[in-house]
Amino acid sequence: MQAVSDSAELFRHVSAEKAYFYRCIMDVFAAAKRQYRLQLRPDEVLAEARWPAKLPEIEEVNAALTQLTVWGNLESHPDTARVSSLSDFYRARYLYRLSQGGEAVESALALFVQTLERRAELQSIALEDIASRLEALRALAAETEPDVAKVHETLRDLVRVFEGLAENAQAFMAGVARSIELQQAQAGAVLNYKRQLIDYLERFIGDLVRRSDTIAGLIDALEPRIDAMLQQVAAREGRDAAPGEIQDQIDAQTRYREGWRERWRGLRGWFFRSSHEPSQAELLRARARSAIPQLLAAIAALNERRSGRSDRSADFRVLAGWFVACADDNEAHRLARAAFALNPARHFSLDIDAGIDVPATTRWADAPPLVIHPRLREYGEAAPRGPLPRVRDRTEARTRLARELAQESQQVEAARKRLATGQPTYLSNLGELDTHAFSLFLGLLGEALSEQAGPESVAERPTGDGPLHVHLKPLPPDSYAEINTPRGIFGGRDHVITITSTQDVQ
Amino acid sequence: MKTSRQRSRDSRSIGQQQRQFQREEFRGALRALLMTPLMSPMHEDFIAVRRQANALQEWFTRETGWPLQIGREGARLYKRPADLNNSTRGLPDYDRRKYVLLCLACAVLERADPQVTLRILVERLLGLAAEPGLTSLGFTFRLGSHHERRELVAVCRTLLSLGVLQRVAGDEDAFVQGGGDQADALYDVHRPALAGMLAAVRGPSTWPAEEAPDTLDQRLHTLLDEHVADSDEGQRTALRHRIARRLLDDPAVYLEDLNPEARSYFINQRGAMAARLCDATGLVAEQRAEGLALVDETGTLTDIAMPAEGTDAHVTLLAAEYLATDYRQQADTAGRRQPFVKREHDIVDLLRDAKGRYGRYWRKSAREPGAERELAKVAIGRLEKLQLIVRSADSILPLPALARFALGEAEIRQETPDMPIPVSDSLFSR
Repeated sequence: MQAVSDSAELFRHVSAEKAYFYRCIMDVFAAAKRQYRLQLRPDEVLAEARWPAKLPEIEEVNAALTQLTVWGNLESHPDTARVSSLSDFYRARYLYRLSQGGEAVESALALFVQTLERRAELQSIALEDIASRLEALRALAAETEPDVAKVHETLRDLVRVFEGLAENAQAFMAGVARSIELQQAQAGAVLNYKRQLIDYLERFIGDLVRRSDTIAGLIDALEPRIDAMLQQVAAREGRDAAPGEIQDQIDAQTRYREGWRERWRGLRGWFFRSSHEPSQAELLRARARSAIPQLLAAIAALNERRSGRSDRSADFRVLAGWFVACADDNEAHRLARAAFALNPARHFSLDIDAGIDVPATTRWADAPPLVIHPRLREYGEAAPRGPLPRVRDRTEARTRLARELAQESQQVEAARKRLATGQPTYLSNLGELDTHAFSLFLGLLGEALSEQAGPESVAERPTGDGPLHVHLKPLPPDSYAEINTPRGIFGGRDHVITITSTQDVQ
Repeated sequence: MKTSRQRSRDSRSIGQQQRQFQREEFRGALRALLMTPLMSPMHEDFIAVRRQANALQEWFTRETGWPLQIGREGARLYKRPADLNNSTRGLPDYDRRKYVLLCLACAVLERADPQVTLRILVERLLGLAAEPGLTSLGFTFRLGSHHERRELVAVCRTLLSLGVLQRVAGDEDAFVQGGGDQADALYDVHRPALAGMLAAVRGPSTWPAEEAPDTLDQRLHTLLDEHVADSDEGQRTALRHRIARRLLDDPAVYLEDLNPEARSYFINQRGAMAARLCDATGLVAEQRAEGLALVDETGTLTDIAMPAEGTDAHVTLLAAEYLATDYRQQADTAGRRQPFVKREHDIVDLLRDAKGRYGRYWRKSAREPGAERELAKVAIGRLEKLQLIVRSADSILPLPALARFALGEAEIRQETPDMPIPVSDSLFSR
């Protein structure tokens, strides 16, 4: 609790009344720190700060420095340097430097500004860097005695680049989701920005697609060796840790190793699909792709606004006022037709003049009237509408049909058995055929004869529907065969016919 | 083997067939646009409209001066009317309040994201409705009552049917019931359709305060007045466009409704104009001494068919025959003119008698006692919409075209009679 309230104090100067003044002073200290100067005197602060308007008095600066010290941003030490005047000697003299809290606040504020100003960007370069670092790692891993220092350096680089990429990607996704750039933009800006952004996205997506594979391949190749390398690096980092107990050393090493493993897992997750989630790279690709239609929609909205040359929303609001001002519904309808023009056309139906020539000078009253179908005039309907037909129960008919079908197929089967003996038979010996057998026989004969090249040649073919095979050999032309059927007597030149069921052939 | 002559005849007939098909497709697209000036890509004729885009745009520009926009996202024919006084061509079942709500809803959607929910729409609409510009004129909308919810949902349905909104989830019915948080619906806002809602030549908000029109007539003119070239040719073209707009959109154009300038032009040009318009649209010209009606044989190019099937259409026909027979007798006894006076109660009496004769063919609600009053209102309303009568106070004045519907010789044809029912799949007779 104490820590929180203390750290809150540290930020007081940002929201204080003279915030700008305080910030100027703190900027001086931040700059000094960057130049490795450890402490400053008030007069140095006065000289170096970039004051907004006029130079303040040294007393003001002193007061501000004291206040900052109270808040904990600065630490003060008595200044023991020699002085050259009495007044200087009697004045309380202090040297100021940034306190630890003050430093933290400065870096926090710097980061804050940086984050606010950051343009979300997708770095194709980062992808290239990641690939090259991984390549280097692989080369190192291939050595029998890897150079731990080099490994460490490469890994650190890799992580740095990767974190940059991840952060930027995150910012980009958030930015696209909010479509900040599009909502706030002016027409001209969006149109200029459009081309660039689309090109940029295309380039990035292309890069991502191209490089993701390479990177994934490298990660895969490194996978078996990486754990050992991470272990070595962690050990090396552990050596840098402040001296302490053995146990602390071991703990620190474990901590470092875990940290490295976690980073590696993050890297993997970026380019590899885990069991149920698409990889980050895929997500990013999808998001970048979706940015394009959003952009186009924003442009479309702008174009609409421009083509209307007026603010549509305001148009509708004014129009609403006009409707309110109408005296009655009739006036509103007239206004609506003019404003929306959505009404369909309206015409009389039916043509009177069909076939009758009426001169154009005829009055409507003298022209023949419409011939209206009497039904329409009597009943208000054009087609007679009788009662609905009763729903009939058809089960009986269906069963009869099924029965007949079954019977028929049985008869056909019987006929087939009777004819398809596989034995050569004289037509004259076929004897009597019943209706089904005869119709089957006629069909077969027809098919066979259509195959026959001439009246004297042998014909054979499978039937069109497949299950039978017919072989037909004509006998001398003076031979004669008769077949008795219920329909009459079928007669003609005799043949030897062989009907085989194809199942038997095989 | 075909001879070369046969072949050339075949290819010629193929060419003719193609031309014929083109003509028919053009005609179908033209008619579809006349019926649905704001066409969504889902419309069955949209593909034809897109294919014929150039020809259609050319035709409308030449004949009517109506701008036509056709894109991938839909088509919009800005059918700016030439007749500003007709009050029967608004949106169906709308009143002044609903129009206001429709405008406000559009204003909200213009500022909305690609998706919007019913509740957000309502919330913002209430904000706009509370603006002093509307409340000072006595408009209040607080969504307090059931009735107001219904009005709002009716407006939503209009926007849905126009394709400005597309429902993604939920429905509006629960909202009418005043349901709590669950009563909501999610919509996609279809921007191109929304952009096509307003047909004004100049946006109403673009007038500076001191120039803003403040009477209805001025407002109508600011919405519609287009730039006319200051030459004889330009004036004539504008005149021709105005007449063509009436002919294409209205049932009949009567000479006495035209100003002298337009009338003389119309009398000179009506034959040629009618021929051109009919050739493109498939309508048939009915040229008469009092004016011109373009008639649609199929009965599909209209929102109110006459004659047609159904109880409402039947009572309208009965009323029309009754009035027209009287009107014809009047016309026959020209010279000894008696003022033609029929009132609404005459129609009520007529329908009460008719109920005895025809009631059994009518829908059930029309057979109840007292229903004839409602039916009479319906019949008179339909006749008025079709420009067959004019009402002044309580009396009903017939317009010339009413004589079409007098009792003609009922001829029973031997072959199948022409059914006067809309046949949507055969737009082209002969």
